[in-house]
Amino acid sequence: MPDAASRPSPGADGDLVARAAQGDERAIGSLYDRYGAVLYAVAYRIVGQRADAEEVVLEAFSQAWREAPRFEAGRGSVAGWLTMIARSRALDLVRARSRRDRITASAAADRPDTPPAMGEFRPDPGRALDTDERQRQVRQALETLSPPQRQAIELAYFEGLSQSEIAARLQEPLGTVKTRVRLGMQKLRECLRPFYFERGT
Amino acid sequence: MTGPAQDSPQDLAAAYALGALSADDARRFEAFLATSPEAQREVQEYREVAALLALGGPESAAQSSLPPSLRERVLARVADQKARSLPAAPRAAVSRSSAVWVALAASLLLAVGLGAGLVSARAKLAAVETELATRNTALAQTTQKLTEREATLSSILEPGVQMFQLTSSGDPEPGIQLFWNRQRHEAIVHGFRLKPVPAGKAYQLWFIKDGAPVPSVTFRPEADGDAKVQGIPVPEGGSLSAAAVTVEPEGGSAQPTTPVLLVGPLKQS
Repeated sequence: MPDAASRPSPGADGDLVARAAQGDERAIGSLYDRYGAVLYAVAYRIVGQRADAEEVVLEAFSQAWREAPRFEAGRGSVAGWLTMIARSRALDLVRARSRRDRITASAAADRPDTPPAMGEFRPDPGRALDTDERQRQVRQALETLSPPQRQAIELAYFEGLSQSEIAARLQEPLGTVKTRVRLGMQKLRECLRPFYFERGT
Repeated sequence: MTGPAQDSPQDLAAAYALGALSADDARRFEAFLATSPEAQREVQEYREVAALLALGGPESAAQSSLPPSLRERVLARVADQKARSLPAAPRAAVSRSSAVWVALAASLLLAVGLGAGLVSARAKLAAVETELATRNTALAQTTQKLTEREATLSSILEPGVQMFQLTSSGDPEPGIQLFWNRQRHEAIVHGFRLKPVPAGKAYQLWFIKDGAPVPSVTFRPEADGDAKVQGIPVPEGGSLSAAAVTVEPEGGSAQPTTPVLLVGPLKQS
């Protein structure tokens, strides 16, 4: 961590992305301080390994650096954008790994059907403002879902499965899965609206 | 309101934001999304919900925190990218180091000049400087070329980039490789064994979107039949089925005016 004096005064998330777009890499440092933990959490839940999760976070911030000029502030929060990038990179990594595993026939037998579904992540206290509070709220919101609703949403988000793939995996009708995803997400939206990440604008 | 068959578009927003629609449904939904600010707001909200999901792991599970070295590694990688994306940087380095050589050569020649006469030394110095300048230019060009190649290579090696072949009949058979980066909606085209085109003409690339050709870049092959075009925007928000190449006036056409020379399907993975 650089000392506070060498770091520019923090601005709004959107300003940080704008500064990164202009070639100021310190802005990426500030974004990392705010959301590194969240990205690591997403990555870890998807890839289930520390080294891979770190690689995903590295990749995600490099991609954010490259794509900063194209970030549209009106289209959602910076955290949402960063998280989406990290999720895609993590799913890419898992898919690449499973391709590799298929090629290495011996490895295939050892591989469990499901990656570790429940993350073991806990953010560094004090690192990111509000993260603890948000985390409590998210856990409470998830508690309000029925277990099948929660499962469907987590399979989609953390394993990158489509609704049809979820239906096949669970041997449930597609319509049932669609309803679970829809109702579950509606419920989460109602509970979590006050806790969204800071808007990009 | 009309939308994809069976499900109403509102019903799809949540699944779309989660990335849980099939590729076909996602494309159909995107077509609807483009026309509906309301659906755009919905998707945006659901994306915020999705972003929070990561925080929902159980409290009791084993603890894991961000590795302390990761911040430095992130910054180092970004700094590395920054350095590589500035083609001026390596050239500046080259001229700095050659300045040292010029100075060294000059001081050597001056030392010699004390015995053999400054005039001839100055003439030699001028010759050395000219020679150095020539080599310097060559070196800068090579460095630039290398930087470009490295950029091409790394963009081709990015995750999610797929290659498609555009083929043709003919002897020798020309071909085009199209590297499609779906995340960035960009493509790189590498053509080889392309026949030269007459003056005032060029090859033009077309994307076949929703069954109709969308004009893209024009390019002319090098003397050896190779061609490379980078950073080609790939049209979004529709179904891309194929890419094709025709010969058109150098400025490009809005619609193909000659028969298709090379064509290849862009199958969704």
